[in-house]
Amino acid sequence: MKIERVERIKKTTAVHLAMEAKEALKKITEDFPDNPDTMGYFYSLLHKFYIQGEMPNDCSEVIGTMCIQVPEELIYASGARPVRICSGSYVYDQTGAEFMHAKSCSLVKATLGMLNIKNMPFKDSLSAIVVATTCDQKKKAASMLEDIGYKTYVLEMPSIKDSEEARVYWQSSVKNFAAALEDMSGNRITKKGLSEAVMKANRARAEFRRFNNLRKGAHNLIYGKDAFVVANGYFFDKIEHWTDALAKLNAELEQREAKGVCVANKHAPRILFTGSPAIFPNLKLPLLIEQSGGVIVADEMCSSSRLLYDPISFDEGNLYDMIPAVADRYLKPCTCPCFVKNDDRKRKLKEMAKEFGVDGVVYQAFSGCNPYEMEHKAIAKMLETEGVPMLYIETDYSPEDTGQLSTRVEAFMESIKNRKRSKLQRGIS
Amino acid sequence: MRKIRELVYSADINRFRLYSQVVAFGLLMYGGYLAIDLGANLPTFACAFVGDGRGGTCYLYPLQHQLNMPLAQFIGGRGVAFLTGLITFVLFFMLFNKAWCGFACPLGTIQDWTTKLRSRLGIRYSAYSERTFHGLIKIKYVLLVLLILLSLGMSNAVPGIGKLSEDFMTPYCMICPGRTVLPLFNGDIKQLVVDFSSKTKLTLTALGMAVTGTFFVGAFAKKRFFCLFCPMSALQYIFSKAGLLRLIKDGSKCTKCGNCSRVCDMGIREIADDVVSKNILQDDCMMCFKCVAACPEEKCLDVRFLGLPVFSSTEQGFFKRMEGKVKDEN
Amino acid sequence: MSVKYFAGIDIGSTAIKIVLIDEAGNIVAHQTSPTGSQFHKNTLDSFHALLERTGTNKNNVAYITATGYGRKLFKEADEFVSEITANAAGARIIGKDCGTVRTIINIGGQDSKAIMLDDDGHVRNFAMNDKCAAGTGRFLEMTARNLGVKVDELGDLHLNAKGVPLTINSTCTVFAESEIISLLASGHEREEIIAGVQYSIAKRIVRLAKRIGIEDMVFFDGGPAMNKGLVAAMEDELLRNVIVPEIPQITTAIGAALIAKEAFLAEGGKVHA
Repeated sequence: MKIERVERIKKTTAVHLAMEAKEALKKITEDFPDNPDTMGYFYSLLHKFYIQGEMPNDCSEVIGTMCIQVPEELIYASGARPVRICSGSYVYDQTGAEFMHAKSCSLVKATLGMLNIKNMPFKDSLSAIVVATTCDQKKKAASMLEDIGYKTYVLEMPSIKDSEEARVYWQSSVKNFAAALEDMSGNRITKKGLSEAVMKANRARAEFRRFNNLRKGAHNLIYGKDAFVVANGYFFDKIEHWTDALAKLNAELEQREAKGVCVANKHAPRILFTGSPAIFPNLKLPLLIEQSGGVIVADEMCSSSRLLYDPISFDEGNLYDMIPAVADRYLKPCTCPCFVKNDDRKRKLKEMAKEFGVDGVVYQAFSGCNPYEMEHKAIAKMLETEGVPMLYIETDYSPEDTGQLSTRVEAFMESIKNRKRSKLQRGIS
Repeated sequence: MRKIRELVYSADINRFRLYSQVVAFGLLMYGGYLAIDLGANLPTFACAFVGDGRGGTCYLYPLQHQLNMPLAQFIGGRGVAFLTGLITFVLFFMLFNKAWCGFACPLGTIQDWTTKLRSRLGIRYSAYSERTFHGLIKIKYVLLVLLILLSLGMSNAVPGIGKLSEDFMTPYCMICPGRTVLPLFNGDIKQLVVDFSSKTKLTLTALGMAVTGTFFVGAFAKKRFFCLFCPMSALQYIFSKAGLLRLIKDGSKCTKCGNCSRVCDMGIREIADDVVSKNILQDDCMMCFKCVAACPEEKCLDVRFLGLPVFSSTEQGFFKRMEGKVKDEN
Repeated sequence: MSVKYFAGIDIGSTAIKIVLIDEAGNIVAHQTSPTGSQFHKNTLDSFHALLERTGTNKNNVAYITATGYGRKLFKEADEFVSEITANAAGARIIGKDCGTVRTIINIGGQDSKAIMLDDDGHVRNFAMNDKCAAGTGRFLEMTARNLGVKVDELGDLHLNAKGVPLTINSTCTVFAESEIISLLASGHEREEIIAGVQYSIAKRIVRLAKRIGIEDMVFFDGGPAMNKGLVAAMEDELLRNVIVPEIPQITTAIGAALIAKEAFLAEGGKVHA
């Protein structure tokens, strides 16, 4: 009897998830003209994963990762494929809400909701889940996952990243993780394996940087919603395939640039998106922004740029040098708000606003996500002195507030347009 | 022009540096045979104890000799010689700034070779903790001050002690591993001895032998081990603000990823953590520019000569060099 | 060439506000009617009634800008603009005689907002309470209904309160309702209850406004701004005087009409004046 009930829950949720994903994908593809042809690969990735419930591109062993501080290179070097398990689904948010307290953030609720139902496309190849001790909710999630019955590895992370002690602690934590991966997989992490993994990941990052550079220009070559789709694909796709597909997209964008094709006119407000991650299907806020005439040209989020920006460099190609190099990459440049002091995020946003010619910043904070909620004041203050307007939006995965949000977003876009116009007029007179 | 710049910025600076070091090594160690003489005021360890082969002389040697005179004579003719020596040294130094250490110093080159050997053997290197590092970097200034005071002390009486013995002649050279190691490359092993002729000489040469031993052991365990204690480096740093070659950092572009600091042979942390200073040259920097090569941010670290761009960190260069590196390793 | 008119239509949750301005930007006519359940039809009816009343030919209305929650449903509009931008545009012009408006506090039927303007009078920042009815016109309606008075009477009753206003602790409209009923049951004066309710609304909105910062001059509009008692409570809580326009309900519609005129000019339209 009980098994039958579980199977029914799985079936019903799968239907709801497919419906949710279909609607989001429809908005992404149909509400906007001129989607690049090579985006097709990424749309089909999402379609396959969320609607058909299948893993794209063959995979044998999967290690689930929660938070971007989990070093992917080590997982690759151990012969497994990392899959980022943070979920953006409202359906799973609701299933998670059945056993989690109301104030937990949508992302954690959805992720645990998903893992509790155990119906992910990679469920059969999932050998363990790695949780970095970032925010409180992720920390407690780790122990809840163990209770659900997952093999869970807790990657210990310091709350401060600037001190020598923190770095030493993190280095040894990553070293232990490498050893644990060897135990789990039965494969040794070799010098060759790790340097190839570093290269593989670096290639993906190089391609992502090229993509971001293409978005810097005044011609809006691509919408931000597509950039988020691309980044979301990275969560679960085979990295080489993903990199190749992005290279093709970049080539198409370069052609567009040469031909002068753009998706939005040059007066469209250029938006920098930051805060709690926008993970498919929950692209509610990004879509609202672009439906209101804005274009998201850059982001500072752990589901996209923060995940894919920093490459690794090592000095000596030996494990004793490469593992610390890998470790450093996941701690030092990380701008996650779970750190006590996070001036780096301010500096990063300031620099991005300048480099991408940004007209305004939209800051998304999921209700219950303390770190982002608390950090927003400091960011707002910094942006104010820089003369960049910011819209702070507290929301969650539920579609219920779309109406209210659209008023705010539209008002923000209008205020940016007015500002731009009067700047232009002042320039003329 | 842009193409050339792109090519240079994507170049493997480490290989270029290796070539430069080999050329400098040949010039400074064997140039003499070709009648090359770059003078006696070089801001690098072109050791005076290397016989006919040397193509120039380390400034510390004449400096110690020149300081060995009564203070009153500094305003006379000998003072002028001292001044000309110093000015020549500074001019030589200004030209390449600390790059003398990274690209020319024979003692540095030997340490780099030792490092290469260790890395090939797959033996882990050591590094100092931040606190130890900041304690150790003061030593070279102590050595520099001693070098000056001891030299002056031979001609000027200190109340209560009197003049120092002439056995203190070129006191730093006596303990410098350059004196013992570099002549070996000319087949000269004479310096590898302990001088028992006086107590002072015994102490100094014994210390010199100990330092030599430490030099090799240290250089094997720790990249550029000796440079942290080098009084030449201390003397240089006094003038490095006037150097024509500069290392500039644009802190706003820095993500503090730490790549630069991790590849730094000297273990300088400020290069990654300081996002305020523009002139980022630290006193232990040897301007090898490994940091620039390891920086993935566009124009975040920038090498300039007289304000003109020479080498700069670029995304493209970074990824190209990393590809090359992994290919070399496998 | 006949004279051109521009219309601003604010379709709010409670009322539809329509303003007609001429080429010089003067208000020709305005009209307020209840929104009801049929947004589109009621808006169209009201618009036609206004045209008829003023004897204006529909063809002379050169540009229509719709704003408010229901704006997207009014397909006849030439342009849509959010109520925040429209409100700012209206308040800037109406408040001009008293000084430069820097802060706007607007209480609507189902939301309340605080808007901060920059030197050019453009929206610099804003905050909205849009998730529940607390601190909105709906809260006042509920109070009036429970006390058996008309919404229009609340202001005078508040000012007539003799004793200390009663504290209303609940911000939620539903809980506040039962609190009010129990206060009535324990024999309290309705004037004091009303004053208490209005203070609680004012406090809540000022807290919202503080999030973006409050600067002089403060402009207070929206239907509830007609309520003198609420205005007094707002001034107490804000620790400063506020400007309340003559007809506080139509500021946003005026703004929309002005935006209609600008848009018309921007698109190459010509006017005589």
